[in-house]
Amino acid sequence: MIDLNFERVSKKYKLPTDGDRPKRWYTRAFARRSGEMWALRNVSFRVNQGEALGIVGHNGAGKTTIMKILSGITTPTSGEITIRGRLAALVEVSSGFHPELTGRENIYLHGAMLGMRRSEIRKKLDSIIEFSGVGRYIEVPVKRYSSGMYVRLGFAIAAHLDPDILLLDEVLAVGDAAFQAKCLERIAELRKSGRTIVFISHDLAAVYRLCDRAILLSHGCVLSDGAPRQVIDEYQQMSFAGQGDSTNEEKARATPARCTGIEFSAPDSPLGIRTGYPLVARLSYKALEPIPDAVFRISLYWPSGYLCAQLTTESVNGGCQLEAGTGFVEFQCPDLPVVAGLYRVDLAIESKGQEVDFRQRGATLRVEPGKIAYGDFFIENAWTLHHTPALADGAILKSGK
Amino acid sequence: MSAPNIAADNDVPDSSIKDSDGFEAATRLTPADGRPIKIIRPPSFSLSTIFIGLRTLVQYSDLLYTLSLFRLSVRYKQSALGWTWAALQPLALMGIYTLIFTRITSVATSGVPYPVFVFSGLLPWIFFSTTISNAVQGLVLYPNLLTKMYFPREIIPLSYMIASLTDFCIASVIMGGLMVHYEVPLTWHVLYAIPIIVLMAGFAAAIALFFSALQVRFRDVGLAMPFLLQVWMFTVPVVYSLQSVPPRFRSLYLLDPISGLIEGFRGAVIHSVTPDLRIMFLCALMVLVSWPLAYAYFKSSEATMADVI
Repeated sequence: MIDLNFERVSKKYKLPTDGDRPKRWYTRAFARRSGEMWALRNVSFRVNQGEALGIVGHNGAGKTTIMKILSGITTPTSGEITIRGRLAALVEVSSGFHPELTGRENIYLHGAMLGMRRSEIRKKLDSIIEFSGVGRYIEVPVKRYSSGMYVRLGFAIAAHLDPDILLLDEVLAVGDAAFQAKCLERIAELRKSGRTIVFISHDLAAVYRLCDRAILLSHGCVLSDGAPRQVIDEYQQMSFAGQGDSTNEEKARATPARCTGIEFSAPDSPLGIRTGYPLVARLSYKALEPIPDAVFRISLYWPSGYLCAQLTTESVNGGCQLEAGTGFVEFQCPDLPVVAGLYRVDLAIESKGQEVDFRQRGATLRVEPGKIAYGDFFIENAWTLHHTPALADGAILKSGK
Repeated sequence: MSAPNIAADNDVPDSSIKDSDGFEAATRLTPADGRPIKIIRPPSFSLSTIFIGLRTLVQYSDLLYTLSLFRLSVRYKQSALGWTWAALQPLALMGIYTLIFTRITSVATSGVPYPVFVFSGLLPWIFFSTTISNAVQGLVLYPNLLTKMYFPREIIPLSYMIASLTDFCIASVIMGGLMVHYEVPLTWHVLYAIPIIVLMAGFAAAIALFFSALQVRFRDVGLAMPFLLQVWMFTVPVVYSLQSVPPRFRSLYLLDPISGLIEGFRGAVIHSVTPDLRIMFLCALMVLVSWPLAYAYFKSSEATMADVI
């Protein structure tokens, strides 16, 4: 069964040519043409019942426009959308709050805006208050709430909706880690109960974790549609291509030393760079003058933007002495501990702690699945099995010693 | 999961059937499990949008109720006088107009003390004007609501109408007190006030819907409205009676339904006369015509409201 069907949907926005105000009546007669912007062009996709679809794409690719059309906030310029079932959009969880009203009153107001009936809200009221963790502050006007409480209450209401189709737009971008975990848990729960979910996020890790399928939008067109991992990889490659080597040329010429290339290779491995297998990284440089106390860095970043690991020549004894001329530094890793995926790579050369050259998003590193690894890293290990009762009861729980 | 007939990627839904409610259901997506099917298409101006709109409005009736309720509670939050304000505003205006129209000049009131006379005109007028001035600002006051969430937008202006209606009821109690104080007899004619107020609410809602939708596009509306309402008040018989108007202008007055309704309201409440049924019929006709037009305009404007706000 198909729950959502987007059929050649396009959406055009008119761009006001002079600021935000409508044209004055006396200029309108002369200037008829105003700018146009196509937020969506002939977008078609389907979502099956019980499926979780992730939508990824850079800012302005049309993700939010899709959400707005689906939830009825705006209408398409052409095309047709069919929605089967009750749909609820969880956009910015607390935008329906009135600051002067108490938490309890806002539950009624926001719930009604999301399409809940009063009787339904009354039944779920205790559960909502409990989920939000707002506690006794429920009788206080929400303008006195901390921003965390605000968001928690908003999500608590939305989490008690009972839709067939749930739209989620960047809802996880707010709240602390514990609350995010709670949200993800609730979303996973909804998924398990067979709800259809459309999920928009820049948190690619969350898309990968939550979704069965993903589509990649770019400038209002669907570029690819498939398994989340494949789509996310494609998206990242696209972002790198657009933004690689972001340092400008002027600056590069002025620096005394710069990175001229990076090469990753897997010696003796026909299958490429794989988790748990050797990796060799060669960073070539060109120095215009001798560089004292030089340090090279190759930083690997997760898709989420967090630093995953770094290969560096930094040591407690200081850096190396670099002669003028070209050369390369080779890093050899016997077993690569990072798991399969696409990593963003930043390159840097420092001298006496000062940055000499920095290439943000200078390259990408693709790691294929190798040795079996769950979690974020592969831990190289050896194991043996013992059948003697060598360990006393409880000793297992003591770590170390 | 996926039925075989949807496998081909670019087959367009070639046929669609219309069900009795005016909603269209594509043949390909069969509502086998009783789930509602909704089809979204580019907006078009048609009368059927009124029916679909009204049906959605009924689904969201709880929101209208909740929002109207909270409008009232929010309005008087953190104010020392609270609900008394609903009565203070017409009382203060009554005081000023009484001063002007009894000390400086005078108007014919058919023997009714001027304070009661002017209050009986201010009562419906304040209901009408506060509905419009609040509703016009209502949609643009919280742009986040319009761009982030969906609910039938007409609920916002309508909730202001209901809130004003409640204020009207409070002020009516003061009206009763004034009539007792000035010994103006209250008769069963006062019941005519009920249909008159219903018509007035209908007309206020139509005006509010039209101008609040227009305000989203042109903020000129909100800027002009206070001034327009002030002028409007003196063109309707609030502080003076229709009798003081030269006869040759009277038919001009009746082009504005508010004139007829206020005059009818005053007649029923303080003069114990039956409203002129021809005038009432004319007013009802104008309300019945203006309402669907304003609503249809509002709904067609709603489709792109979030884009232009």
